[in-house]
Amino acid sequence: MSDIFKLVMKRLGLGLVTLLVVSILIFFAVELLPGDIAQAVLGQGATEETVATLRERMGLNDPAIVRYLDWLGGAVRGDFGVSLISGGSVGDAITQRFLNTLFLATYAAVIAVPFAIVLGVLVALMRDTLFDRAANILTLTSISSPEFFLGYVLILYLSVKTGWFPAISSLSAGMSFGELLERTFLPALTLVLVVTAHMMRMTRAAIINLLASPYIEMARLKGMPPWKVIVKHALPNAWAPIINVVALNLAYLITGVVLVEVVFVYPGIGQLLVDAVAKRDFPIVQACCLIFAATFILLNLAADVGSILTNPRLRHPK
Amino acid sequence: MSVFVIGYYTILIAASCLAVYFERRRVFMLLFSLTLVSFVAGIIGGVGALRTITTLAAVLSLAAGVSYAFKEFLVQIARPGLARELRTAPLTAAFGMFVIFTYAIAGIFAPWIAPHGQAEVISTSFAPPDANMLLGADQLGRDIFSRIIYGARNTVGLALAATILAFVMGAFAGLLAAVKGGWFDQFMGRFADVIMSVPSLIFALLMLSIFGTNLFVIVVVVAVIYSPRVFRLTRAVAGNVVVMDYIEAAKLRGEGDWYLIRREILPNSTAPLVAEFGLEFCFVFLLIAGLSFLGLGIQPPTADWGSMVRENATLISFGDVTPLIPAAAIALLTVAVNFVVDWMLFRSSGLKG
Amino acid sequence: MSKKNQAQLDRLADAARQGRISRRDFMHYSVAAGLTATTATGLWTTKAAAQPKSGGNFRWGLHDGNTSDTHDPGTYVTRQNIFLAHTHRSYLTMIMGDGSLGPDLADSWEANDDATEWTFDLNQEAAFHSGKPVTADDVIASLNHHRGDDTTSAAKALLTDVSDIAKDGDHTIVVTLSRGNADLPWLMTDYHFAICPANDDGTIDWQSGDGSGPYKIDSGEWGVQFTLSRHDGWHREGAYFDTVEILTLNDPNARQTALVTGDVHAVSLIELKTMGLLQRDPNLDIHNVPSAAAITMPMFCDQAPFDNVDVRNAMKLAMNRDEIIEKITFGAATKANDFHHSPAQPYYPEGIPQRDYDPDQARSLLQKAGAEGLTVNLSAADSVYAGAVDMAVLYAEQARAAGININVVREPNDGYYSDVWLTKPFCLVSWGARPTPDVMYTLAYKDDAAWNESHWQNERFNELLLQAKSELDESLRAEMYAEMATLARDDGGTIIPFFNNFVYANRANVGTPEELAASWENDGARAASRWWFTD
Repeated sequence: MSDIFKLVMKRLGLGLVTLLVVSILIFFAVELLPGDIAQAVLGQGATEETVATLRERMGLNDPAIVRYLDWLGGAVRGDFGVSLISGGSVGDAITQRFLNTLFLATYAAVIAVPFAIVLGVLVALMRDTLFDRAANILTLTSISSPEFFLGYVLILYLSVKTGWFPAISSLSAGMSFGELLERTFLPALTLVLVVTAHMMRMTRAAIINLLASPYIEMARLKGMPPWKVIVKHALPNAWAPIINVVALNLAYLITGVVLVEVVFVYPGIGQLLVDAVAKRDFPIVQACCLIFAATFILLNLAADVGSILTNPRLRHPK
Repeated sequence: MSVFVIGYYTILIAASCLAVYFERRRVFMLLFSLTLVSFVAGIIGGVGALRTITTLAAVLSLAAGVSYAFKEFLVQIARPGLARELRTAPLTAAFGMFVIFTYAIAGIFAPWIAPHGQAEVISTSFAPPDANMLLGADQLGRDIFSRIIYGARNTVGLALAATILAFVMGAFAGLLAAVKGGWFDQFMGRFADVIMSVPSLIFALLMLSIFGTNLFVIVVVVAVIYSPRVFRLTRAVAGNVVVMDYIEAAKLRGEGDWYLIRREILPNSTAPLVAEFGLEFCFVFLLIAGLSFLGLGIQPPTADWGSMVRENATLISFGDVTPLIPAAAIALLTVAVNFVVDWMLFRSSGLKG
Repeated sequence: MSKKNQAQLDRLADAARQGRISRRDFMHYSVAAGLTATTATGLWTTKAAAQPKSGGNFRWGLHDGNTSDTHDPGTYVTRQNIFLAHTHRSYLTMIMGDGSLGPDLADSWEANDDATEWTFDLNQEAAFHSGKPVTADDVIASLNHHRGDDTTSAAKALLTDVSDIAKDGDHTIVVTLSRGNADLPWLMTDYHFAICPANDDGTIDWQSGDGSGPYKIDSGEWGVQFTLSRHDGWHREGAYFDTVEILTLNDPNARQTALVTGDVHAVSLIELKTMGLLQRDPNLDIHNVPSAAAITMPMFCDQAPFDNVDVRNAMKLAMNRDEIIEKITFGAATKANDFHHSPAQPYYPEGIPQRDYDPDQARSLLQKAGAEGLTVNLSAADSVYAGAVDMAVLYAEQARAAGININVVREPNDGYYSDVWLTKPFCLVSWGARPTPDVMYTLAYKDDAAWNESHWQNERFNELLLQAKSELDESLRAEMYAEMATLARDDGGTIIPFFNNFVYANRANVGTPEELAASWENDGARAASRWWFTD
């Protein structure tokens, strides 16, 4: 076990380096984008003079490297700076929205992950039957249209026509947990449909890949029932790719849902990031991207640790 | 009781009886349960429901028939070895191949097949389908059918190029990382973390704004966005293989890395990769549609399916099918590709029958 | 009166109440149905134009809001900014439903003979939500926010002629101009010139969100939602709702379904494609209001091939405006004639012949200019106007008949106004409604204007522009604008396909005045203070 601990520590250390690289990358990418914050804020109303004044006021005339180091100096001490546009603290701007995003992601993941894996095992068990085909066609069709379009279809049938769920998920203070679940059901369902197919098909593939292995053959010849063969013998060895795809989809639930947020008017972090990029509000962009990067690093680390834990050979490298 | 309803049940029951007579158990179960379902559906939904079932059944059997014929056709023209393989293909795989074949023909010969140009404005907005325009007109009065055909060329071509590039880059890096291990493995892994950390639409926006939006850049950017996912999957699968005893043995034999990758690891990790390919292909379509959302995708008036869905998406709220047509084109291809993938998966796993 | 007539009258009254027919039409039809004019008038007042009543929580969905918006009037840019400003802040003057100029904070105003000095008398009752009365100091500080060397206001250009703003007692201000401007009171309706409380050092306190408008902000988050409640003792008539919630609904489908399911009572924009389908819903009222907002396509007049006036006119002739209006705006637009002066603005010049699609003449003009087989790039992005790229594609198809090849370049939505507009020689631009032709021409057609988007230099035009600006005689002014319009149409470098209508909608239980202001969507952005619930 101490090996794993050492690995986790080492990876967390490397994770910090990764975050640093991401922050440099993001900073200079935003610098390279055509137009700057002064032009973006003034929009169509920009003139050369007002842009110059605004640049001066926002301190944009310092060289890029100085501004980056300034920001980094603050960030190391836990101060992510203030939004260049509103002057409000980045922490205040992000915290509530990130919690909202986390809530929606958890909601969707709690439904989608068990559902997808169980379904994956079932279709692997009943491979090539009508059930297998139907489950595949349905899940594949649901990921074949852009996710906002899927959202529109769900809104049409579950909200406009039947009135079962609210069409927009605007949150207000003092909502009970039940109300919250009801208000956010449609976006959560959209996300479930978007991520299920990927995880289910990987589970199916990973299990089928192992079915011809000698030890499975052995178990089968012993007269074990098929479901037991799969759950007891195939699944434990199939975890590595499944865990990776699950991690990928969990990360997507946090970082990739901006279109779903827009369709359901859900105040998550995606919209904030898109707006901040459009306005070139660098501290906000930076903070959002670092949160996303940390999410990815942690989930990827969890996936790697999971892969190792589920494979004894990896646990004890020779 | 209309003639249709009487005929409907007569045919179903007669077919069930025939199935019993010829001792086709599965066919009988299918037909008879359909009969029972029809009783319930008929009572609840009336004749309309029965007609829907009939249409669905007709479409399904047509698809099955076409698939069967296409499979036989392939078996006839293929080399003997390949023909034997093809003969074992299930109908769904044959259906998938047929769809892919049709799309390929449509894409390659688009200018000859499409009755009108993709930019040609020939009627009023949203004109209904007629003899001239099979699927009606879009918001500018262009023929939707022609645009779907051209879309096959533009979208599928682009998606295919980007997906293959992503797989070549990702899989190669993943295999190499698994074999080499050590700092190279760490470096590639963290590099993938960096790329994945930036949300894909934002990443695309940054890259395309900086490098311009020509087709080549789009393909490369999309491939770069997706390759870390392939990399991580390959690395995970190959990681499981690398620690096997036979790899150890090969290493002791003094085989080089390239040999290990090509002869030992790759054959044992294709299945999840192939499965991944079928899906990433579909994700690439959607990413390209997402790019046009930001004004960065394929330049107009070039038709692409994702953008065609987006342009008229709100009409779906009024039950208008215009946005469903390109969405269905994408869905059909995704399902078809994955049917073929399933078959390849089945074969590579070494399972028989 | 027969039963049939009674039913018909009920329907008419219903239509009138929902604003589908005007008072004049109502009178005409009811008299035809057998009523006397007096009875019809009575019926109109009791049934159709029911008195507004107070109460309720008005939920209002806006189509354009950003999480990084702020309360700074100098950088107002989204609808969320502008509509909120018209709800919680005040301006000196406001545009009324009938298009005339009415009082807001200023009760009255007058100019000296050459319109170089304007005096505004402020309303004595007006107070900020904090309770502090609105004084001349606040107004001066608010206007100075957009002036001077260190201002970052996007409205700086509008006030360059102002040389001094002084107070004359606590409730009077005097604005001195270096050049006469007869339109100054109109200019004061510009959305940037919201009045905020002054700090002691002459700057304004915009950060707190305090204002003197009909509603005060209780809570809010940019890009999401604002909750407001009535400001008791507001200095003007109206403000019938008890509370107002302003929601940002950027997605067209979200706006549409929120309205259809009754989640909001009004939205600021509906997608034109679905306008016809929404009209069938009896629970909704759709408004289609001609405005002075325009789509323009400037060509750089100092750059080949557009430096030749024949080429410019060929480009104008190669456009089939009727087809564009039908397919891109679904009829919700007023055909324009290549001069930036809308029928919704004062001094509209009647009788200038409409330029129509004529590919043959375009071709012969090109021949004359020696530019047959002309190929040009046209830049567009959908963030400019919903359907802008489609419109460019359609225009390219139409121009093909005149032998012109137009390559449509879809530019990134992001940064369009900093990277494409004023940079690319031929692009698509959207302009908001400006109150008077003078404002519009000064901003974008004057030879030395920062936003002279077509680089057009015409001596006579610029001479007339300055003359008209300070001309207080209305008919002389109208004549000048007519001549300027002809010059812009026949020599200018801007193609103007149409003035887009404002198309917005509300639930049928929302009462709206007979005439809706055309300065912004939702009754000049003042739905919160001008509309009411009928049930």
